[in-house]
Amino acid sequence: MLGYVASRLLYALAVVFGVSVAVFFLIRIGGDPSALFLPPEASLEQIAEFRHSMGFDRPVIVQYFEFLVRAVQGDFGQSLRYQQPAMQLVLERMPATLQLSGTALLLSLLIAVPLAITAATRRGTIIDRTGLVVSLIGQSFPTFWLAIMLILIFSEKLHWLPPSGRNGWQTLVMPSIALAAYSTAIITRLLRSSMIEVLQSDYVRTARGKGLAEGKIVFQHALRNAAIPTLTVIGLQVGALLGGAVITEEIFAYPGIGRLAIQAIANRDFTVIQAFVLLMAVLIVGINLAVDLCYGLLDPRLRKS
Amino acid sequence: MKRLLHAPLLGIMLSTTALFALLNPTFAQDNGTITVAQPTDALTMDPAKHSAFPTANIMFQLYDAMVTMDGEGVFVPALATEWSNPDPLTWRFKLREGVKFHNGEDFNAEAVKFTFDRALDPEFKAPYFSRIAAIKSVEIVDNYTVDIKTAKPFPTMLFSLYEASFAAMIVPPKYTAESPDALASAPVGTGPYTFVRWLKDDRVVLKANPDYWGGAPAVENVVFRPIKEVRTRIAELTSDGVDIAADIPPEDVPSLESGETKIATIASDFIYFYAFDTLKESPLQNKLVRQAINYAVDVDAIQQALLGGLGTRVALTLPTNAFGYDKAWQPYPYDPEKAKSLLAEAGYPDGFTIALTARQGRYMKDREIMDATIGFLAEVGITVEPNFLEPGVWATVSEAKGREGIIFPGWSGRDPDLVWYPILYSGQYQSYYANPALDTLLDAGRATLDPAERASIYEKAAAILKDEAPHLPLLTPPLIYGLDADLKWQPRTDSIIDLRKARFE
Repeated sequence: MLGYVASRLLYALAVVFGVSVAVFFLIRIGGDPSALFLPPEASLEQIAEFRHSMGFDRPVIVQYFEFLVRAVQGDFGQSLRYQQPAMQLVLERMPATLQLSGTALLLSLLIAVPLAITAATRRGTIIDRTGLVVSLIGQSFPTFWLAIMLILIFSEKLHWLPPSGRNGWQTLVMPSIALAAYSTAIITRLLRSSMIEVLQSDYVRTARGKGLAEGKIVFQHALRNAAIPTLTVIGLQVGALLGGAVITEEIFAYPGIGRLAIQAIANRDFTVIQAFVLLMAVLIVGINLAVDLCYGLLDPRLRKS
Repeated sequence: MKRLLHAPLLGIMLSTTALFALLNPTFAQDNGTITVAQPTDALTMDPAKHSAFPTANIMFQLYDAMVTMDGEGVFVPALATEWSNPDPLTWRFKLREGVKFHNGEDFNAEAVKFTFDRALDPEFKAPYFSRIAAIKSVEIVDNYTVDIKTAKPFPTMLFSLYEASFAAMIVPPKYTAESPDALASAPVGTGPYTFVRWLKDDRVVLKANPDYWGGAPAVENVVFRPIKEVRTRIAELTSDGVDIAADIPPEDVPSLESGETKIATIASDFIYFYAFDTLKESPLQNKLVRQAINYAVDVDAIQQALLGGLGTRVALTLPTNAFGYDKAWQPYPYDPEKAKSLLAEAGYPDGFTIALTARQGRYMKDREIMDATIGFLAEVGITVEPNFLEPGVWATVSEAKGREGIIFPGWSGRDPDLVWYPILYSGQYQSYYANPALDTLLDAGRATLDPAERASIYEKAAAILKDEAPHLPLLTPPLIYGLDADLKWQPRTDSIIDLRKARFE
C-alpha cells in the first residue's frame, strides 16, 4: 500500500510540474501585458521602459526558472493589475468557489443517487423514463444557456431569486443548479447502468433466493459494487465542477476564482494565471489521488495489485 | 419495501417545493442607496496604481482632482479654483481653501505636490504615467498656490489634471507617506463619498461625506457591483437589484425605456474611424482611393441600423465636443457612383483587394460595423480581407507597426493634440500617415497656449485632413446606461461615472 501511495504521489508531482511548464510558456506566446497595461497614447519608449522594469524583456527560460525557484518557496509573484501577491488573490476567492462547487456536488449527489437507484430498481416505469429524459437534458444543455434561462425565469419574470452576487443562500441557488446540471446527468446515467448490471449478477440472484429483503439487497449489496465506477466519475466531476465554475461565476457575477481567472487571462496578468492554473492542477491531481486511494478502501483486490 | 424506494425522490421533490416557497420575493432596496453595476471590479483603491476606467469610476467618488469637467466637456474648478499661465512653461493654480481629507488632514499645496511627486517617481511605476509625464515639477508658491512646470509649452495640461488622468486624483500626504500601501485597501480622499468596505469581485460600499466641499451628496450610500455578463446586469436592473447598469447594448434600449426602468445615453468621447495604412505599398497610398472609400460607405445607415441612431456622426477624427471642432465641418457624403469614378481615375476601375486589421468584440458593435463596411466597399469593387486579432496580439502587432491595410483602432480625446498627434503625426508609432505640412501644424498646435491661435492652427490642419482623407471618420458611439426610473443622474461623455448630483425623485 505504501509503495502504491508513493508512486501515485510521484506521478502527481510530475503532472504539476508539466502543467507549470505548459502554462508558463503558453501564456507568453501572445505577447506580454505591457502595451495592454499602459494607456493607448503611451509612447514606444514608455512601453519599453515599463517592460524592462517588469523584467518581461528577459529570455523566457530565465524567467521560468526564476518563477520555479520562487514558486517552490510559495512565492508566485505580484499581480500586475492588482499589485498584490498573485496566490493571495486566488486563495482569497477560493472559499466562494469551494462553496459553490461543493453545493453543486451535493445537489448532484442528492438528485442523482436516489434517481439512479429508483430508476434501476423500477426499470421501464415512468420514473425510469423521466430519469433518462432529465439526464439527457442535463447533458445537452450548455451551462451558460441554462444559467441565462434561470435568470430570465426566476429573476426577471418571477422575481424569486436575485440574479447575481454572493449575498446569502439565495444567491447560491441558481449558480449551483446551473453548475450541477451536467454532473447530475452523468452520475445518474452511470450509476443507473452500473446498478442494473449488478442487480442482474449471480450473487444478487443468490441473495434474492436466500430471501433477503429487497432493500438490503439494493443498498448493501448492489450499491456498494455499483459505487466503484461511479466514484471515478464523481472524482472527475469535481474537477469539471471547479472548471465549470469559471463560466457559472462569470454569468452570475459570483466572486470566485473563475472570474479572477477570466480577467487575468484577458489582461495577460501572468502571475495570477500561473497561480490559478497551478492551484487547480494541484487540486485536481489531489482529488484523483484521493479517488485512487478510495478504490483501495472499497475494493480490497486493488490494494494488493 | 418497494414503497420505501420512492422515499428519496419524494423527499427531493418536497424539499425543492419547500425551498421555493420559502423564498422572499422582495429583495428591492431603499432609496438611500445607489447601486451601480459595471462590468469589472476595482483593481485597487489607490488612484495612481491602476489603468482601468471601472476602477476610476469608483475612485472618482472617493477622490477629487484639481479640475473637473462639466456636461459639455468644459473644464471647471474642483480642488483648484482658478488657473493662469504666468509664462508659457508654468501653469499656476489657486487651490480651494478649507477642504479636508476624510481623515481630517488638510488639503493644500503640499498635498498637490506630494500627489504628483509620488506618481511621477519612476520607482512608483504609475500605469497612467504617460498622462502626466509632461509635468516637470510641482512648486509650492504659498499654502494655497502651486506652479506646475513643464519643459515645453503644454496646452493640454488640464486633461492631465482632471479625473480621467487617474494619477491626478489628489491623495493625503501624511497618511500616504506614513504607510505607502494603505491607500490600496483603505482609501482616503476629499471626495463626496467615504470608503466603507470592499468585498473583492462582489461589491465596493461607500457612504456619503456630509462635509463634502461641493455639498453633501443627496444619496446616503453607494454600492458598486462588478457584473460582467450584460444579460445579468439587465436582470439586476429589471429586478431592482441595481439602479445604474452600464454598457447596455443598443438593441435593449426600447425594452428598458418603459415601466420601472429608463435609459440614459450620451455620445462618448470615443471615436470610431478607419485609418488607412499609407506607409506601406498599397492602393491606399493614393489620395483618390482614400476619398473613394469615404464616399463608398453609408455611415448614417450603419448608425441607424446597428446603433439605433444613437451616437454622433463626426466629420473628422475628433469628438464633436473637442477643442477646435467646428460644427460646420461636413463628412464626405454617401455617393457610391462618385466612389467608383474616383477609383477609376486612380487606376482601379475594377477595384482591388485590401486587408483589414482590427480587434473584434472590444467596442460596442465593432464587428457588425466592420461587416457592414466590408459590404459597402464590396459594392464599389473593393474586396476586404479582415484579420481580427485578440487584444494582446493586436498590441504586439501594433508595437511592431504591423497593422495593415484598413485599420479600426478606436481612439479618444477632446483635443486635436491628443488625437491627431499620436495617430497622424509622421513617425509616431500608431500613425500610418506622413505629411510634413500637417506635421508643422500639429507641432505648432502643441507649442501654443493661446486658445484662439490654437483653434486657427487646427482649422488649417482640419482642411488638410478633409482633403487628404487619411481616415474614414465614422462616429462617436453612445454610452448607454439603464437606470431605475426614479433616479436622476447624468452620464458624461468621457464615461466616468459621477454620482455627486445623483438623486432619487
